[in-house]
Amino acid sequence: MTTTLPAAPPDRAGALEPLLDVRDLLVRFRTHDGTIHAVNGVSFQLQRGERLGLVGESGCGKSVTNLAIIRLLPKPAGRIEGGSVRFDGQDLVTLDESDVREIRGRDIAMIFQDPMTSLNPVLTVEEQMIETIVAHRKMPKADARARAVELLGMVGIPQPEKRLKSFPHQFSGGMRQRVMIAMALALEPKLLIADEPTTALDVTIQAQVLELISRLTTETGTSLVLITHDLGVVAGMTDRINVMYAGFIIETATTGELFDRPSHPYTVGLLHSMPRVDDREGDPLIPIEGRPPDMRNLPNGCPFAPRCAWRLPICWSDNPPLEPVVPGSPVVASGPAATHRIACHNPPTAEEAVHGHPSRPGHVPAPPPAGQLDELTSYAALADGGVRPEHLQVAPAAHDIDHEVPARHENAHHHHDGDDHHGPEDSG
Amino acid sequence: MTAPAATVVPVAERRASRGLWSDAASRLLRNKPAMLGVVFIAIFVGSAVLAPVIAPYGPLEGELTNRLQPPSPAHVMGTDLQGRDQFTRILYGAQISLQVGVVAVLMALVMGALIGALAGGLGGRVDAVLMRSTDVFLAIPGLLLAIGIIAWLDRGLWQLMLAIAVTYAPVFARLLRGSLLALRESDYVIAARSVGAGGGRLLTRHMLPNALTPLIVQATLVLATAIIDIAGLGFLGLGPADPRTPEWGTMLTDARRFLQTAPWLVFFPAAAIVVSAIGFNLLGDGLRESLDPRLKR
Repeated sequence: MTTTLPAAPPDRAGALEPLLDVRDLLVRFRTHDGTIHAVNGVSFQLQRGERLGLVGESGCGKSVTNLAIIRLLPKPAGRIEGGSVRFDGQDLVTLDESDVREIRGRDIAMIFQDPMTSLNPVLTVEEQMIETIVAHRKMPKADARARAVELLGMVGIPQPEKRLKSFPHQFSGGMRQRVMIAMALALEPKLLIADEPTTALDVTIQAQVLELISRLTTETGTSLVLITHDLGVVAGMTDRINVMYAGFIIETATTGELFDRPSHPYTVGLLHSMPRVDDREGDPLIPIEGRPPDMRNLPNGCPFAPRCAWRLPICWSDNPPLEPVVPGSPVVASGPAATHRIACHNPPTAEEAVHGHPSRPGHVPAPPPAGQLDELTSYAALADGGVRPEHLQVAPAAHDIDHEVPARHENAHHHHDGDDHHGPEDSG
Repeated sequence: MTAPAATVVPVAERRASRGLWSDAASRLLRNKPAMLGVVFIAIFVGSAVLAPVIAPYGPLEGELTNRLQPPSPAHVMGTDLQGRDQFTRILYGAQISLQVGVVAVLMALVMGALIGALAGGLGGRVDAVLMRSTDVFLAIPGLLLAIGIIAWLDRGLWQLMLAIAVTYAPVFARLLRGSLLALRESDYVIAARSVGAGGGRLLTRHMLPNALTPLIVQATLVLATAIIDIAGLGFLGLGPADPRTPEWGTMLTDARRFLQTAPWLVFFPAAAIVVSAIGFNLLGDGLRESLDPRLKR
């Protein structure tokens, strides 16, 4: 990502430093099957009290980004290989483990996806809550206990005095998530990271838990990063949204702006693949065909190109940086005036975004350059944008091409033969 | 875990549970095979503890004129080649088996847990060195390793304990290390780390207690095998240094020649070994089921 962010929001004189300032974050997992490029230069900021949604499908790097922020990547495979995470004036990437431990829980807290497994089964809720409180605040046990009771009451657990003595398995899923929220907010952190906090819960409980998180963070002025794959969840909960794909932020805007004017084909696809209650005349749902790329072997071009109906030839070879939708406008990275930015060579127009597919005359999604054609992309090429004769001619040849790149290279009939420099032999 | 979570709460409220351990205990009490195991173990331990009280004779006293008597009211399990009362010797034999078995398994548990905790807790190079070393021990058949150790250290009760302990320590080491590795990536350990837990507290409060139950179960099961091993080593003449010691395996060796003329001499020690081993096996299986808090009935 080549976008450079200003050191501070330029629109406010002597403005507050953002609470969280992530720059060019690079996370890799070294596994036996190869290196997984989980997060590929992600930059974003978060103001105090601001609520940010992080949206994307499974494996797009949204959870990894946040585990990296509080340095809880699984060791030894996961590593931060670049970038910085400034939180409240400190760089968390270079901080000592013991200092990071101080920050965890006290300044940054996290709520996890599955409340059924996020509490220690052999300790009572009381022991776990008091332990967390006492770890950061030197206070007598009785005071910590009183605080725990208060917190449980705050998150809506009936008879908190009595329930404190219970073990996690004696709570329902929704109640456990409430306990997790109580523990996360025990020390009034500055930042709460909620990683799909409602995915494992009943639909009826989901709304309650979201409402609770929303209310408590607003009351305490806690900043929130809400990770989810459900755009419906972030809509009412956040001020701003980052859409992630294959370890990149591909669109960022304030929540209202993103829903009004989605500008990246992937965001458009997400919105059109989601059923809406207020749908006027039952527009058909448009699925996003294909699969996300193999994170061990990312393409050189835009990672979304194989699935994109708007793609141009350049999309296969050049990964676009995150830039303002309105070219040349100044970049505000956070806050209510944040600039709407996308990483796209050929963004859908407002009208196309409404319909969910390209509608300009004569547009055909660019076929992949010969050297990059593999089974996956050829199927994706067939699937999106409808089946067209020119695709049918290209796709069956894909299997032959794999083995004869140099020969095909000369015969390639399009003008991008200089760009297919990464061989397909190493894929798959 | 897929069941609607909301149904769990009323269960907890209906049956006021007093805690994890008492819940486990009540589950264990309802487990019939485990209770049969407990009865067997009670007989075994009772025999060992009460041997001096209930034994009608001394373990070493016998009249040669009284030898190879079949079971009778005076000698319920008959007498052996030296005219010693077999019932008395079985009772005292329980003492040897219990003592050697329990001490050996405890030693194995401590050694293994230490190795496993170091390997699983520290990881990296320490882990590699410790685990490859335990692999070497695991590669040697257990009884052979024990025989080797006794051959090296000479016969005797302590040597017997040590031999069995060394044989089983790698089992515990691997088990604990495996649990710790799995726990390190478990949701609640990551959750605990996310609120600032770390280092020693993480290991002692969150990881070890959760890794303990498989160790307890395994120790119970190993105790059963250890009792058989003790008898096996005794049978091979590698038991206690004093050949007169009433040890079940040694008794079998002596009785072997009279299998046809005095079968009770083989039957009763063999039955004692079987009953005590099965007892620990049944209890171990029952513990495995009842100590898992996720298994609710």
